[in-house]
Amino acid sequence: VAMSTREQIRAVRDLPMNFEEKKRIRWVLTLGQLRIIRTIVMCQSPTITPKICCGAVLQQRELFPQFFRRFGYSLRSARQTLQLWQGTMKEIGGKFGTSVLTYFLFLKWLLMFNILSFLINFGFVTIPLLVYDHTPDVPAAVSFRGLEILTGAGYFNYTAMYYGSYSNETLAGPVEYNMQLAYFFTISLYMVKMLVVCFCSLCPSPCSMAKSFKKNYVLADPASSSAWQLLCTWDFTITNERAVRQRKNNLCVQLKVNESLSEKAQREMLTLSEKLRHFGIHLGSWLLSTSLAFGCGISIYYLYTASWSPQQEAETLLVPFVVSLMNLVIPLFYSLFNKFEIYSSHRKQIYALVLRNVLLKMSILAVMCYYWMNVVAVKFSCWESMVGQALYRLVIIDFLFLMLGSLFGEFLSNVIGTKYLPRLGVPEFDVARNVLELIYAQTLAWIGIYFSPLLPVIQILKFFILFYVKKVSLIQNCQPPRRSGRAAQMKTIFIALLFFPSFLGALSIVAYTAWSLTPSEQCGPFRGLNNSFSAIGDWIADLEEKTPGSEWSVWIYENVIKSEVFYFFISLVVIITIYIFWQVTEGRKLLIVQLRQQIVNVSVLKPIQ
Amino acid sequence: MGNKQTTFTAQQLFYRYRDLAPQLVPLDYTNHPDVKLPYELIGSMPELKDNPFRQRIAEVFSEDGQGNMTLDDFLDMFSVLSEMAPRDLKAYYAFKIYDFNNDDFICKSDLEKTLNKLTRNGLTEDEVRMVCEKVIDEADLDNDGRLSLDDFQHMIVRAPEFLRLLYVILLNQKYIYLQIVDAF
Repeated sequence: VAMSTREQIRAVRDLPMNFEEKKRIRWVLTLGQLRIIRTIVMCQSPTITPKICCGAVLQQRELFPQFFRRFGYSLRSARQTLQLWQGTMKEIGGKFGTSVLTYFLFLKWLLMFNILSFLINFGFVTIPLLVYDHTPDVPAAVSFRGLEILTGAGYFNYTAMYYGSYSNETLAGPVEYNMQLAYFFTISLYMVKMLVVCFCSLCPSPCSMAKSFKKNYVLADPASSSAWQLLCTWDFTITNERAVRQRKNNLCVQLKVNESLSEKAQREMLTLSEKLRHFGIHLGSWLLSTSLAFGCGISIYYLYTASWSPQQEAETLLVPFVVSLMNLVIPLFYSLFNKFEIYSSHRKQIYALVLRNVLLKMSILAVMCYYWMNVVAVKFSCWESMVGQALYRLVIIDFLFLMLGSLFGEFLSNVIGTKYLPRLGVPEFDVARNVLELIYAQTLAWIGIYFSPLLPVIQILKFFILFYVKKVSLIQNCQPPRRSGRAAQMKTIFIALLFFPSFLGALSIVAYTAWSLTPSEQCGPFRGLNNSFSAIGDWIADLEEKTPGSEWSVWIYENVIKSEVFYFFISLVVIITIYIFWQVTEGRKLLIVQLRQQIVNVSVLKPIQ
Repeated sequence: MGNKQTTFTAQQLFYRYRDLAPQLVPLDYTNHPDVKLPYELIGSMPELKDNPFRQRIAEVFSEDGQGNMTLDDFLDMFSVLSEMAPRDLKAYYAFKIYDFNNDDFICKSDLEKTLNKLTRNGLTEDEVRMVCEKVIDEADLDNDGRLSLDDFQHMIVRAPEFLRLLYVILLNQKYIYLQIVDAF
C-alpha cells in the first residue's frame, strides 16, 4: 500500500521518541530520499511498516558516515572517467543497442590484451636486446625507404622487429640474462595467459559470461517466443517519433512471422518432396561453400610458390592482397547462398553463415602456415624473419582492407540506400561479420608473436584506429538493428570462436614450430639448436651440473614434463570432470521440469483471488 | 550531449518539474505544498511524448492513479526509470505498467491492450487473440490463465537486456540514482 510523504511524516510524529531524534529522522526522511528508499524497501518486503523503514534508514546512516560514502562515490566516478572510451560506449549502447555494443566491447578487450602482451614482450625480450646492443646490425647497402611500412622487409629486417635480430647468447651485464630462455618463456607466458583468460570467460561463476552461458543454453530458449517479444523488447529509450513507428512496424512483422511459422509447423508437416528439396539446397550450398574455401586455399598455395621471392619487395605484397580480397568478397557470396536457403530459425541461419566464414578463413590460414612450415623453413636461411615479415604484411594489408571495407560496406550502402534504391534502406551494422574480422586479425597476431615479437605494437595501433573509424562509420551510416539483439548469447559464441579454432590453431602452429622445426643457423635466439625446445633441455642439463641443490627441478622436468604418462593422466582427469558436470546439467534439467509441474500443482491449491 | 557523465540531483529534477508549469509550482517546497501537475503536462515532456506507454507510466507512478503527479511521484518515476535502479524494482514497475486494470495480474485483456499499443492496429483481431494466447501459454507457469508477478519476473530473468531498455534518458543525460540519496 503506497503511503504519501505526509502520511509517513505523520507516522514518524507518532513514534515514541524524543524531539531531537524525531528532528533527525525528519531531516533524514526528506523529499526524494524517503520515497526512493521506501519504494525499494516496500518492494522487497511488502509487509514492512514505517517504523522498520525508519530504523533501516537510520542504521544505514550510522554504519556509513557520509564522509566515507562521498569518498567512495568520487573514487568510483574517477575510476569510470579513467576507463577508456567509457562515454563513447554508453553513447553507442544507448543509440544502437547492446548487440552493436558487444562488438565495441570485444574490440576494447582485444586492445587491452594486446597492450598487456606488448608490455610483457617488450619488457622481457626487446629491452634486454636493446640495452645490450642498441645499434641494429644493418648492412651498408640498405637504408630506410617508405615501402618498408607496407612490406616489412628491407630496413625492418635488421631491427628488433623480427626474430632474426635477437641474439642467442647469455647477455653479460649487471645481471646475466639468458636470451634463449627469456624468449621461450615469454612466448609460453603469453600463450598461457591467453588460455587462462579465455577459460575464465567461459567457465562457471563468478564470471558473468558464464552466467549468460548458463542462462541462454541450459534454460529454454526465450527469444523466439512471442511472450518475450511482446513484453521484454520494447525499448523505452527511444524518443524519436519515426523510430517509434518503425519499431512498431518491426514488432508487427516479427509477431506475424512467429505466428505463421508456428502455424505452419502445426498445421502441415512438410511433404517429403519439400523436405528433400530443402535438404538438396542445403547440401548444394554447403558443398559449394566448402569447395570455394578449399579452392581459395589451394590457389593461395600456388600463388605463394610462384611469387615467393624475398628480393622483389613489391611482389611480396601480392599474396596478402589476394588473401584480403578473398576474405572480403567470398563472404558476400555466402550471404547470397544464405538468401536462397530456407532455415527453420533465424539463429540457425546466422550460425551457418558464421561457420562458413570461419571455414574459409581457417583454410586460407592453414594453407599459408603449411607453406611456411614445409617450404620456407626448409629452403631459406633465417626463415623465421621471413615468416614474420609475411605475417606483418598480412596484418597491414588486412588493416587497409578493413578500413576500405568500412568505407564501401557502410558508406556506399548508405548512399545507395538513401538516394538510389530507397527500398534497401539505411544499412545495419553487421556485428557477426565485423567480429569475425577481428578474430581473424587477432589470429594473425597470435601466430606472428613467435616470429615477430613487436607485432603487438602494430596490432595496438590497428585496433585503436579501427575503433574510431568504425565508430564514425556506425554513427554516420547505420541505423539501429531492427531485430531485437540476442547480445548475451552472441557474446558467448564469439568468445568460444575466439578460443577454439583461433587460439588453439595459433597455439598448435607455434608449438609445432618450437618442437619440430629446426631453427635457422645464422640468426635468432635459437641458432645452433636442433629445435627451440632443446634450449630448455640444455638449461636443465646445465642446472644439473652447476647447481647441486636443484635435483627436484631436474626430476620434475624428466618425469613430469617430458613423460607422456603425465599428460595422459591430466587428459583423463579433464574428461572425467567434464562428464561429471554434464551429468549434473542433465539432472538439473530434469529437476526444472519437475519443479515446473510442482508450481502448477501448488497453484491449484491456492485460494481463488 | 557530452561524453562525460553528468550527475543530477533532485534539485535539477525539481527545476525540470517546475518548468512544466511555473505558475502552479512554487519555488519554495519547505512547506510541502499540495501541487499536482495534470497528466497532459507530464505526457507532453519530450522524453515521454512518443512513448506508447506514457499514460500507463504516469498512472503507475501517480498517487491518485490518474496520471496527475506530485513532485514526489515525479522523482519516483525518474529514479525507477534510471540506470541505477535495482533490477527487482524495475521488474516490479514494468509489471505494473503492463497491468492495465491494476489487479496485480497481467490477464488476457491487459495483453491485448499492450499489443495494441505496441503495434498500433497493425494486426487483425484474430492475430491479436492468437498472440495473446501464445504469450499466456509460454509464460504462465502456474497455469491460472494469467501472468502473476512471479511469472513475469521469471521471464525477465531470461531476458536481462530488457531491464536496460527500461530507462528514460532525461535531457539526454543520465540521472544517477545513488547521488540523489547522497545529496540529502
